[in-house]
Amino acid sequence: MALVELRGVSKSFRKGDETITPLDNVDLDIESGEFVSLMGPSGTGKSTLLNLVSGIDRVDAGSIVVAGTEVTKLSRSKLADWRAANLGYIFQTHNLIPVLTAYENVELPTLLLKLSSTQRRQRVELALEAVGLSDRADHYPRQLSGGQEQRVGIARAIVAHPKVVVADEPTGSLDTETSEQVQVLLQRLNKELDITLLMVTHDAEAAGIASRQLVLDRGRFLERDSHSGVSRKIQHAN
Amino acid sequence: MNTYVLKTLWRHRTRTLLTVTGAAVAMFVFCFVGSVQEGLHRLTSGADADRSLIVFQENRFCPTSSRLPEDYARKIKEISGVRDVMPIQVWTNNCRASLDIVVFNGADPRQIQNSRPLKLVDGDWGQFSSQRDAAIVGRNVAQRRGLKTGDQFSIGDLSVKVAGIFESTVPSEENLIYTSLAFLQYTRGLDAAGLVTQHEVMLTDDADPDRVASEIDAALRAGSVATKTRRKGAFQASTLSDLVDLIGFAHWLGYACVGLVLSLVATTTVMSVQDRIKEYAVLQTIGVRPARTMRLVLAESTLLCLVGGVGGTLLALVLLGVGGFAIGAEGATIAFRPSFGLAISGTLVSVIVGIAAGLAPAVQAATVPIVNALRQA
Repeated sequence: MALVELRGVSKSFRKGDETITPLDNVDLDIESGEFVSLMGPSGTGKSTLLNLVSGIDRVDAGSIVVAGTEVTKLSRSKLADWRAANLGYIFQTHNLIPVLTAYENVELPTLLLKLSSTQRRQRVELALEAVGLSDRADHYPRQLSGGQEQRVGIARAIVAHPKVVVADEPTGSLDTETSEQVQVLLQRLNKELDITLLMVTHDAEAAGIASRQLVLDRGRFLERDSHSGVSRKIQHAN
Repeated sequence: MNTYVLKTLWRHRTRTLLTVTGAAVAMFVFCFVGSVQEGLHRLTSGADADRSLIVFQENRFCPTSSRLPEDYARKIKEISGVRDVMPIQVWTNNCRASLDIVVFNGADPRQIQNSRPLKLVDGDWGQFSSQRDAAIVGRNVAQRRGLKTGDQFSIGDLSVKVAGIFESTVPSEENLIYTSLAFLQYTRGLDAAGLVTQHEVMLTDDADPDRVASEIDAALRAGSVATKTRRKGAFQASTLSDLVDLIGFAHWLGYACVGLVLSLVATTTVMSVQDRIKEYAVLQTIGVRPARTMRLVLAESTLLCLVGGVGGTLLALVLLGVGGFAIGAEGATIAFRPSFGLAISGTLVSVIVGIAAGLAPAVQAATVPIVNALRQA
């Protein structure tokens, strides 16, 4: 069974008098340990898909099962609990809490788990070490560069040892050099810590670091070959 | 999570300081008004108010206009249910409502010592009993006028030597200055030899106050001056009737203060939540439950209100304690004293108002559509 399973997922929005349906009866499987990148033109529903998998948005139809839990059936409170234990979210704009230090920002998700203070401290220190920011633990977001802020965001996403981490254009607001550093970091986290990653990006180069590249086009997933750049339709076993 | 709340308040410290100060000022006024209400309540409903009677000249109001024969005391004592009678000559510097009223009560020093719940905190009873112009001064008056034992105190034609400072379990007593009866009767301008302002009647445990009051008035009807006898509480309420109406109205001021704190803290919390709605969405994306998000907002509003409210309440209590404030009219006074009840009610009101002020923004933070909030710049 795949770690993430989407079956017949549809989602529509109303924009004025118009109804937009970026996701129409889509299916997707992501295996444990995979690093999946998701590309596609603007407005095709990439971020919507990420939000649905994260349980911060609701499907109109279909089901999403992540690590054996059908998230589409959970209440808002249960979804929060589920996210705290199973999901890490990396935002495009970092979204660190400005009044908290890097350490405190990374510590936040661990406060929602049943951990001793020692366990919590160990996890935070490990996460900061993994992103190379142990020496910036006491700095506030305003004292960090964009790349450092994003690395703190990544540490926050992995500190609770989630089963899946989703990243919404994690390099979208960074310069080329910093963007490459973050890409390397994500790749390392996937390989060394065996974290399952689902990343939305506009950047073909960033998408290229993923073990599997998908393109969302007109509500359908296409598999993209990183060498040729050619996309082809996904063949589902079922 | 507590760190988050505290750091958020600290980061917006100007807003926090203004809100806390506003809440403190409002709760300060709330406690002051509460203290006046409590003073009035004590004056009209204490045990002393129900178990003793005041015999006053009929149809007279200001103490200077009531002139009863001193020997009425003997006739009153003969009535069943009367335990003791204390003739009192009253002198006041102002018959109208005043915040700096000085009231002298002249009575037999021995009776004062035996019948009044007074405790000398300085000076001695011996000097008060033996020296003709000696006076013992209530703690409130002493604080207000800066008097201490050994001082000579003059007001109008009266000049007394302070023989002691007393405190009392009945706060209004602490607004009085006691002298001997004879001293006050022979004071220039009073011309009251053989006369007193009122008789205070102490009742036996089983006496019916209203019956005894009627019998006193009936017994003295044949005397040179007709009397009107009432329970002490009723007498004081009647004497202070104009003030009672004002004080009754003042409780609306107390409610207005509560409303002010509510709107102030609610405004601050609403603004704070609207400014940080994306933060709350981020917290929920991380896994903070909606209920916990609500608690974070409520903690913020309650803390603001509690710090301001408790600060204002404490300031009011300290000022009430050291200021010796009182308001009086026609010789009766209401003491503004700090009390444990005021401290508790000030704190409770702060907590309740803090929670009430945070409810709407807390619901907003907890129920905000996460995706929409994350899209905000």
